Parts: sequence; structure tokens; C-alpha cells
Amino acid sequence: MFNKDFWSEIFMALRRNKLRTILTGFAISWGIFMLIILLSAGNGLKNGVTGNFADRIKNTYTIWSSSTELPYKGHKAGRFIILNNKDIQFLESLYEVEEVSPVLSKGGTLIFGEKSRSVSLEGVKPIYKNIQGIKIIEGRFINENDMKNKLKVIVIDKNTNEELLRTTEETSMIGKTVYINDLGFKVIGVSKGMAFGEMGQCYAPYTTLQTIYNVNEYYQLTFTTKGLNTKEDNETFKTELKRKIAAIHDFSPEDQRGVWIDSEMINSLETMKIFNTINIFIWIIGIAMLISGVVGVSNIMRITVKERTNEIGIRKALGAKPRSILLSIVMESLVITTIFGYIGMISGVGVMEIVNIIMGSSGAGVNTEMEMSVFVNPTVDINIVVMATLVLIISGVAAGFAPAWNSVKVKPIEAMNYR
Amino acid sequence: MIKLENINKTYFGAQPLHVLKGINLEVAEGELVSIMGASGSGKSTLLNILGILDNYDEGDYYLAGKLVKNLSENQAAEFRNKLIGFIFQSFNLIPFKTALENVALPLFYQGVNRKKRIMMAMEYLERFGLKDWAEHYPNELSGGQKQRVSIARALVTSPKIILADEPTGALDSKTSAEVMQILREVNASGITMVIVTHERGIANLTKKIVHLKDGVIESIEENDPDKMDFTKEIK
Ligand SMILES: Nc1ncnc2c1ncn2[C@@H]1O[C@H](COP(=O)(O)OP(=O)(O)OP(=O)(O)O)[C@@H](O)[C@H]1O
Ligand SMILES: [Mg+2]
Repeated sequence: MFNKDFWSEIFMALRRNKLRTILTGFAISWGIFMLIILLSAGNGLKNGVTGNFADRIKNTYTIWSSSTELPYKGHKAGRFIILNNKDIQFLESLYEVEEVSPVLSKGGTLIFGEKSRSVSLEGVKPIYKNIQGIKIIEGRFINENDMKNKLKVIVIDKNTNEELLRTTEETSMIGKTVYINDLGFKVIGVSKGMAFGEMGQCYAPYTTLQTIYNVNEYYQLTFTTKGLNTKEDNETFKTELKRKIAAIHDFSPEDQRGVWIDSEMINSLETMKIFNTINIFIWIIGIAMLISGVVGVSNIMRITVKERTNEIGIRKALGAKPRSILLSIVMESLVITTIFGYIGMISGVGVMEIVNIIMGSSGAGVNTEMEMSVFVNPTVDINIVVMATLVLIISGVAAGFAPAWNSVKVKPIEAMNYR
Repeated sequence: MIKLENINKTYFGAQPLHVLKGINLEVAEGELVSIMGASGSGKSTLLNILGILDNYDEGDYYLAGKLVKNLSENQAAEFRNKLIGFIFQSFNLIPFKTALENVALPLFYQGVNRKKRIMMAMEYLERFGLKDWAEHYPNELSGGQKQRVSIARALVTSPKIILADEPTGALDSKTSAEVMQILREVNASGITMVIVTHERGIANLTKKIVHLKDGVIESIEENDPDKMDFTKEIK
């Protein structure tokens, strides 16, 4: 049955009915193509947004200094609460706290040769890189050795790096010594930086700055936790922590302010919820598109088979058996849907790959101010594409089958006189 | 070759229409028979039943000694493929196939291989002077050429019987005469032939004329076509 003769009949019929073949094929290619574009765009959006958070570790907390809102035990409202070493000791005593990473902030002017630039210098621990999701583009971040030996090393931000290198022969700041408030620091790395405007953002070992400045005031304390995995755990921990800090600093536990406590875990769970919603939305649109594709393809199949009723009648008069007619119709539609489905798949994936490459080189979709990408790696799971293509192929063939079956079932004279 | 006993056929449309009301007819092997009658008298209906393109409600139809009744689609296809060749007024060629491919198609359903099919189809086209038109599509052919292609297609399987429904209906008188000449030659080679027509001139070229009126056979007229003068117009 499926010999060379059979296939050459099929391909001849498709070639001779170019318009029909192309129209049907186009419907299928287009359906698949659009589906891929849509799913890829959705994925790109998702990857872009999640990517900005992906480098951060989730089990972190930040406590910010703030002013009180309520009067308490003789203190007036509006008192500014400054965090200190007592808070660090308290945090370190907690079972849930893994490592405290205080942030010691100093403003100053960075000088390198003729150049100067105002910067904010932050004394931090190595873990801070992961807590903040800091990206290092050259050199390295602060390590334990820098901490232990209280080395005067510094990580500068990209903008500062460019500014310092501008109009010099140098190509790299790594290993150079820069001066901040008359103290020399050796540059060990360049971060991608979250800096805005003219102010540079530099990091030095926490221990180094602590030794130099002997600070007991912090505007920001960060720490990592262990064993807090659910939203409930974190909410409870956060409430309890707030209450205890309030006791240490003598402000009302009811105070909405006093200190801000921010849980990355709670935030990220919230963000995950948003992503899941986006995901569901993309799937609903994708499935709606697939259904409309199925309907379109099915209609075209039905119409083409109807159109062929006369031909079917003639073939029957010439002695074609029902099975042979059905088989050739089904095979024809299978060949069309497969070939054009494949074309749609390849072109959809191809277009998205090209978009990917262009975006990668031009940085389109990247918000430069924030150094955040909103659209990253817009590709789609090939399994999903193949599944969608199969669904279209099968439904197309099934849709063609019913009218073909009808035309084959009727008496030949009816088929011949159809229309 | 053909034997009809009390054939009845009713079309169950909006209103049931009793089209054939007890047809009894015998056609012997090698005969050349025409069926005449007014429009709507049931000529095409009768011919379609003969060709197993349509079914009948009552009576018995024997084709080549076999009862044709309640056949499965496969059996009917077998009969049509091996025993019967059709010629239609509107030719019924497949538009996207060349003349050659149209003629070769019945052989495809007989399982003849491609090379042999093409060879045989070409032979028949040549026989009807269509060698140069083999690669043309139906819409590139004149009415007479199309009808000759469909005759070639009807004959290519060497059927026992040719059924023709108004084979000259769409042709002018000169072309009609040529087509009839071909059909007579085909009959002379021993193939049984039933031609439906409402033209006396065409019927006069057959040896037996069956007159159909309102679904019954009114009379069967013996005729000697050789008495006809072919130099005259046949219409
Ligand atoms: N499929 C059908 N359904 C219902 N009625 C039909 C059908 N085919 C034919 N008829 C009716 O049956 C009657 C006989 O039709 P038929 O085609 O056999 O006539 P005919 O003798 O071939 O006429 P003509 O010379 O016009 O071709 C007509 O009245 C026609 O309207
Ligand atoms: Mg008729």
C-alpha cells in the first residue's frame, strides 16, 4: 500500500494543488509560529525579571534605621533609632541567625592621580555580595583573608572605574592604589554597581573600616538565616524580631516605624507569586492560540475535503476503494501539516534566536540606569513546541478525516454531482 | 451481460419521487443499446444503477451473471474497476491531472505499476489521436478532445461494458459524429455498450433503442445503423 507509487501520487496531488496546499500549510505554519513567538516572549519576560533576583540568596534580612512614629515611655515621637554593636550581639545570639553582615557606611572623596570622585564607601563582609546580588565584572570581591588581615582593599563600581580610566593610558584599575579621605586602598575588583548619578559605590572589608573608624553606629544591618523556609516562619520571625529590637531601643512594639525590617524571603515569595500569575497568563493565551490554530486548520481541512467531493466521486467511479481514498486524503493532510508545521516551528525558533542575538549584542531591553534586564533569553521549551505542533497536526488530520469519511460513504453518483 | 428484473427506484427527497417503476431489460454481450426518453424520464437514474453508482430499491440486477444487490463498497469498487467503463456528458476528468494521468488512473486502482500504466494510457491516447495532448490538463483541451480522453480512460482497463450518459451532450454535431464513430468502433471490438441520449440522431446509430417514459419502458426498437447515411448531419 505505502509503496513509491502511493507517495508519488500524494506528492503530485499536493504539487498540482499548490494554492490549496499553501493556504492550508500557511495556516499551520502561522499558528505554530505565533505560538512560539508568544511563549518565547513570555519566557523572556519571566527570565528577565527573575534573572535580576536570581543571584541573590533568599534567606537574608535587612534592618534599616528609621525614626519612631509613636511616643513611648517619655520618649517623643520622631526619635531616630540608630543600630549599634548591641544589636549585632543580639542578632548573633539568635538561633535562626546564621551570619550578621553589618554595613558600615562612610562618605568621602576618592582620589586617583588628578581625578577625584565622591563615593559612598561601605564596609561589608564577603557574604554581602550574595545578599545584594552584586555582580563582579573584573577582579574579585572582598574575601575572608581581607577580613582577617584587615587589608586596605577596595571594590569600585563600573562608573567610577570608567571615570578614573578616562583619558589615561591605563586599561585596568586592578592593583592601583586610590585614596579616600587620605587613606590608600588597593583596588581588587570592579562591580557592575547599582550606583545612581554622580555618586560612586565602593566596598571595603568591614573589619578594616571598623578598625579605622571605630564605628558603633549602623544605618543598615543585614544577616542570613537558617531554618526559615515558609512565609509563615518568616512572618513570625520578623514580628518577633521587631518586638525585641523595640525593647532594646526602648520604642513602642506597636510602632510601625522605628526600624524597617525587610525579608528577602518574603519578598521573593511575593515575586514568585507574580511570576506564577504571569506564567498562568502566558499559558492561557498560548492555549487559546493553539485552540484558534486548531479551529483554523480544521476549517481549512474541512473545506478542502468538501471541495474534493467531486474528485472523490470520480475516483470511486473508476474503481477506487474507500480505504484507498481515505488513506490518500489523510496522508496528504498529514504530509502538509507535518512539513508546514515543521517550517513554522523552525522559523519561530529561528526568529526568536535572532531576536536573542540582536538583544544580546545591543543590550536592548536592558534598563541601563538600573542595570536590570526586563527581557532575557526569550526561548521556549522545545518539548512544548513539539507537543503543540503535534496537537495541530493531529487535529488537522482528524478534522479532514470526518468530511473525507462522509464523501467516501455516500454513493459515488452523489459525490460526483455534489454542488 | 446485463439483466434487469422489475427494478424500482424512488428518490426520497422533500417529496418521494418514484423514478423507475419496474424496469425489465436484457442486454446481451456485445450489444449496442441506446436509452431514449424525455428529460426527467429516469434515463440517468437507470444508467447509474447499471454502473453501480447508485442503488435501487426493488428487483434484481445481474451483471455478468452476478447479482448486484447490497454490495459492500469494496465489492462495488471491484465491479466498477474491472467490468465497467464510464463516459459522462461533463467528462468528469480530474482537473489537476494531465490527460495521460487521467487515463492511467483506473490502472492505479488495479495495482498496475507506474511504468506499465503510463505505457498503456499512452497507447489508448494514441489510438484516439491524442498523443500530442498527453501532457495537457483538461482545461487546455476542447470538448471533443476531453470526451476522447474520457473514452480512453473508460477503455484502458479493457472493461466488458461501457456506460455512456449523453456522451455527445456537450459537443457540437461534427464532434458528436466523431465521438459516435469511435464508440461504434469500440462496440465493434466486442464491448457491450449502453448509451443514454435524448437525440434521435444518436440513437439511430445504435442497434437497439430503449424508449423510457415516466419510469417505465415504453418500447424497444430494433434499428440498423448501417442504413444511416454518415455524410448527413446526425442531428
Ligand atoms: N438525487 C436525486 N434526488 C432526488 N431526485 C432526483 C435525484 N436525481 C434525479 N432526481 C429526479 O429523478 C427524475 C429522473 O432523473 P434523471 O436524472 O434520471 O432523468 P433523465 O432522464 O436523465 O433526465 P435528463 O434527460 O434531463 O438528464 C427527475 O425528476 C429528477 O428530478
Ligand atoms: Mg440525465
